[in-house]
Amino acid sequence: MTDAAPAIFAALEASGFGAAIRQSRWLYMAANIGHIVSLMVFAGAIAVMDVRMVRALSATSPAYVLKAARRIAIIGFICLVISGAFLFTAEASHVIMNRVFQIKLGLIALGLLNIALFEISIAPKVKNLPPLTPLPSGARATAVASISIWIAVAICGRSIAYF
Amino acid sequence: MKHTRVAIAGFSILAVTTVAAVAHHGWGSYDASKPVTVDGTILTSTFENPHATIAVKAPDKIWTVTLAPTSRMIARGALADVVAVGKTVSVYGYPSTVEMNEMRAERISVDGKTYELR
Repeated sequence: MTDAAPAIFAALEASGFGAAIRQSRWLYMAANIGHIVSLMVFAGAIAVMDVRMVRALSATSPAYVLKAARRIAIIGFICLVISGAFLFTAEASHVIMNRVFQIKLGLIALGLLNIALFEISIAPKVKNLPPLTPLPSGARATAVASISIWIAVAICGRSIAYF
Repeated sequence: MKHTRVAIAGFSILAVTTVAAVAHHGWGSYDASKPVTVDGTILTSTFENPHATIAVKAPDKIWTVTLAPTSRMIARGALADVVAVGKTVSVYGYPSTVEMNEMRAERISVDGKTYELR
């Protein structure tokens, strides 16, 4: 526990839930494994969408690929948030003060913003495109931004333990 | 070209976050070239994740000793009552290069038994 953190995070760490995660033989380990598996599911689905938006797999109907991958990405993201919340709660007062974690949160916000931008301005234009047709402008840029941001998020996540 | 610029921006983010990984503490910041053996009595014991931790009163100072994750501790037989307060222990490990009097344990000996923690 560190006093440097805002009281709410100290309280979260000191809660019965926090103690249960730290003291359980398997809970912390399960959350750790769940987080990495969720990341694989999420990153895999995101990569499929991004790859399609940089004009690979061009013989497929883009909206169909996006729809299938989007569903998996959402499931992966939800599992990431849940498992991440367990890991965070166990050490909340330390992790919230961790610079790399703060950068990670910022990057996640950026990644979600990029998704919102994509879903609002690009996905609707892709909706009825047949295979082998040019994609709307900006599709490639958001895809490159997407994969870069999420890889950076993963790098930050793994780096928290080393800072 | 627009896409090239976006790619450069994207990879700059990657580079910055990677390069930022230079200083500070973590598992990398223990000096394996200066192993120490600490003999003493356990003053406090926290058998919790992510790592069990004990404070050991050595003749010269009090060491904070970072042990292993609890599931590994249990798997190796070093249960909570093995590293309980009051036990006399001998810990071999590496001093932190960041925190004073903190070390990471390679192995711990209690009651004539040695437990490997890595």
